Amino acid sequence: MSMETVIQLANIVVPVFICVGLGALWARIGTPFDTRLITSLVYNIGAPCLILATFQKVTLSAEAMAEVALATLACYAAFTVIAFALIRIMRLDIPSYLPSLIFPLTGSMGLPVSYYAFGDEGLALAIVYFTFGAIGTFTLGAAIAAGSFSLKKLATAPVIYAVAIAVVLQLTGTPLPDWIFNTTNLLGGMVIPAQLVALGVSLLQLKTGGIVRSSFLGVFRLAMGIGVGFAIAGAFGLEGAARAIVIIQSAMPVAVSSYLFAQQYDRKPEEVAGMVIVSTAVSFVTLPLLLLAVL
Amino acid sequence: MLFKILSVIAPVFVCAGIGFVWGRTGRPFDTRMVGALALNLGMPCLAFSALTRLNVSPTAFAEMVGAYGLVLACFLAIGLTTIFIMKVPAHTYLPVFTSSNTGNMGLPLCLFAFGPEGLALGICIFVMSSIFSFTVGWSIYAGRLAADVLYNNPLIYAVGAALVFMISGIQPPVWLANTTELIGGLAIPLMLVSLGVAIANMRAQGAGRILIICIVKLIGGFTVGYAVATGLGLEGAARGALMIEAAMPVAVHNYMFAQRFNRNAADTASMILISTAISLATLPFLMWLVLE
Repeated sequence: MSMETVIQLANIVVPVFICVGLGALWARIGTPFDTRLITSLVYNIGAPCLILATFQKVTLSAEAMAEVALATLACYAAFTVIAFALIRIMRLDIPSYLPSLIFPLTGSMGLPVSYYAFGDEGLALAIVYFTFGAIGTFTLGAAIAAGSFSLKKLATAPVIYAVAIAVVLQLTGTPLPDWIFNTTNLLGGMVIPAQLVALGVSLLQLKTGGIVRSSFLGVFRLAMGIGVGFAIAGAFGLEGAARAIVIIQSAMPVAVSSYLFAQQYDRKPEEVAGMVIVSTAVSFVTLPLLLLAVL
Repeated sequence: MLFKILSVIAPVFVCAGIGFVWGRTGRPFDTRMVGALALNLGMPCLAFSALTRLNVSPTAFAEMVGAYGLVLACFLAIGLTTIFIMKVPAHTYLPVFTSSNTGNMGLPLCLFAFGPEGLALGICIFVMSSIFSFTVGWSIYAGRLAADVLYNNPLIYAVGAALVFMISGIQPPVWLANTTELIGGLAIPLMLVSLGVAIANMRAQGAGRILIICIVKLIGGFTVGYAVATGLGLEGAARGALMIEAAMPVAVHNYMFAQRFNRNAADTASMILISTAISLATLPFLMWLVLE
């Protein structure tokens, strides 16, 4: 591995590690951090703005977007089937474990890695993957954890409208007026750092339990993600940035949002926390290796 | 021209507006925590990133800091005169003249009016403004000389590190540039939303003298900015950034300082609220003058 490769990898993963580290340091010092407020700011305001602004900066063809969107759906379908099978084999309960095995951390970790690896094009493609994840997490994920499905959650998720507008603008080649672009670009800038710092804070604050099982499940999520990512990217004949983004996003650790739902509906939050922490820690090692393989 | 002005001021209105609605609808918003996130993490990274990315020369940095130093000297003179004439106590009313919203309002205006160069020059001013607020401003509120708060401010260290790169002419490594750029993205939006929330939670109470002080501060600010920029022969983005920053309303942190040292916090809140309202209402006009 040449020095250049090491530097190239460092440029991609170090920003992520430092932001998470700063969050952990923040929690360690005992400075208050309102994760709920930050999550609300990010999901209701930041993320829709990031979507609008990013799609303004790149030109993606309808085929490229559709290709990644279909590959993403295929990945989630595969995750669901495999996770369901594993849960049945291990005789675990579905509401506690299914959402955390299906949904990877495509926002806070997947987006910056994709951005630093492939620039705005990478970010835009990663956003396509992220959007399905975010919609899925807040509808299906929440429904599985809660035990009931709510269409209202789906209809009130601002990212859905942002994506719909962004796709229409992209396909019709309509530029956003400067004032909207400046505003959304500014507000969108907080999404990734705020989420990463929040991730760091959560890692220190989570109360874990059942560490053997949750370690196994956390590592399983990563292995499944990597395997499914490569398989689907190969099956769809993806190339270049699209291939790398589908693999990177699939291979992300357990999403923190799964923990939030587990906590909210009392679905073994300690074990989900263990899965989040173990898979995130392991991904700090596997992510550079994965990047080496896909770049 | 109208569209250019709109593209500069809309981000400020929308972001602060989001905060205002957030605050008015009574959703919880921990201003202290968001402020700490923006000022202790975001701002130092933004300063480092903006100063090193554009390779701002140490001369240009010193020029902006010096120019804003002159502006501050004029603000002190205007403030002291006003206080003397109106017979109000200096410990509450003098910092109102010298501490302005150079960060949360000034920086996005500089950025969208003059691009990344405007942001970098605005940051030079913001650094000077922060140092002044945390030494002279703080001391006036405290009633004793105090500079120790300065050492706790990560901004100082970030600017120190940036100066090392600027003076040596070395580019920071890409990983550092990437990291600071990423975290720097927190600063302006969080500060603006916070500004909106803070304003939503403040109440203005009558008293003509508060209105007079606000008007003197804002008209004085604009005039001083214009005079210093012209006197020093500043041009382009440097001229624009100085004029924008000099015309900014009373800084929100004055309220925190006034509360902490038991000064007249209610009056300070009124001055922040009224000067910000007037400033927002006259912003299109200010930007028209600056961009012309």
